[in-house]
Amino acid sequence: MKSLQEFESFYNQSLFREMEALDERRKKVLKRLLSIIIGTGGSMLLSVLAAIYLVSPEKDQHFIMVFVAPVVIFLLGVLAWSVWGRDKNFVADFKRQLIERIIHFISPDLTYQPYNFIGIDTFEQSRLFLTKIDRYNGDDYVFGQIDKTQFWFSEIKTEYKTTTSKGQTQWHTIFKGLFFVADFNKHFEGCTVVLPNRLGRGAIARILQKVNLSRREKLVKLEDPEFNKYFVVYGDDQIESRYVLSTSLMQRLIDFRRKHGNPLYVSFVSSFLFLAIGYTKDLFEPSYFRTLTKFESVKPYFEDISLAVGIVEDLNLNTRIWTKQ
Amino acid sequence: MKVILIALGVLILFTIIAYNRFIMLRNMANKAFSTIDVMAKKRYDLIPNLVATVQKYMEHERGTLVEVTELRARAMQGNLTPDERVNLENQITRTLGNIQVAVERYPELKATENFQQLQGALNEVEEQLSAARRAYNAAVIDYNNAVQMFPSNVFALVFNFKSRALLETPEIERQNVDVKKLFSN
Repeated sequence: MKSLQEFESFYNQSLFREMEALDERRKKVLKRLLSIIIGTGGSMLLSVLAAIYLVSPEKDQHFIMVFVAPVVIFLLGVLAWSVWGRDKNFVADFKRQLIERIIHFISPDLTYQPYNFIGIDTFEQSRLFLTKIDRYNGDDYVFGQIDKTQFWFSEIKTEYKTTTSKGQTQWHTIFKGLFFVADFNKHFEGCTVVLPNRLGRGAIARILQKVNLSRREKLVKLEDPEFNKYFVVYGDDQIESRYVLSTSLMQRLIDFRRKHGNPLYVSFVSSFLFLAIGYTKDLFEPSYFRTLTKFESVKPYFEDISLAVGIVEDLNLNTRIWTKQ
Repeated sequence: MKVILIALGVLILFTIIAYNRFIMLRNMANKAFSTIDVMAKKRYDLIPNLVATVQKYMEHERGTLVEVTELRARAMQGNLTPDERVNLENQITRTLGNIQVAVERYPELKATENFQQLQGALNEVEEQLSAARRAYNAAVIDYNNAVQMFPSNVFALVFNFKSRALLETPEIERQNVDVKKLFSN
């Protein structure tokens, strides 16, 4: 696994030059964006002020200037942005020139497909989120093998919808973040699900966790209090869940959870490991407001990718000391 | 009269629920214990294979090999008290651990496919044994809580359900991580 220092020297020696060109484009787009915002906003304000001071409220022009003109100007602004303002290939080039380069720097054997993502069947197979999905989307698909372990990950967003009494549709997020799948190093038959513990460890929490009607898996009480502080475990088979979650893997999950701080969902189904990390930000996306020529602003991309690829090492998936090779 | 009947009915209902709960908890502990037994037998089956595979190479470790064979024979004889049995299993775990550590000195043996397969199977059984032991302890804690906590302890007393002992984790398992490090390729 590459360290941050190694990445910094790679950035300074090799990435920086390319980032300069990309950053020029970003600045150009930012300038256009600002001029469109100022132009559109100013014109909208002017039309309203003109109506108030120059046209008497009874006349039709007053209505047009106060209500219609700002809308038309705003739409023109949007049109200007999409035709002249934005750089259509910026995001694609950003992903090819920065994200892909970082991924290949970490491991040349990995494949990156910016507009592909893990399928809904795999997501549902994990049994991590049981809410019925109405909208499923994602991007930034990475797959490959490190040592003996094959893995895949991508960004995923899933939502369900509700309809209000007025007939309005509302969308609610089920999961948004990084979804990771790997070949697990032990054979097993059933399903074990590790979820964030949101209820704490009190007596009432225990009762509520036990009577989880949405799951067919039963609560598995593990002996590590530190682990129970972060997670609650459900499984088809009490013994198999403990076979999968060995004491050392439990410790590794605690360390991993502490390392990134976001909600962590892990499941073990059909000899695969599924892992979902909730993020509020969009992963691996450029921002027009952040320069690319400073190491500090490129660093988070490296850290996010390293975290995902590092799961294989962090959870010790390459240790094949059991019968599964 | 009605009140007495209702009170009696409620008492009988509580007794049935409490009794069935004890049975359920005891069965869960027994199930976990029988898995320990199954895994222990699986391990006994592997020991002769292990000894046969390694003895050609490990002349200097003859003592350890003899020891593990004897331990296996004693465990398989049966008629042991649970405490003796647990002790014996822990000794087997420790001796097998010693053999696996000793193997490090015999790279030729370590490289053979036969040994690698056997080592994988042994590690798997050890981990399953540990899982079954942990499941047993978790089930026993639930059962003991019911036996010792009020008001269910009253029913436990009436039906003669007694607390059970937890299984100690063998020393070798606590050092699990270090031992595994030796085998990571």
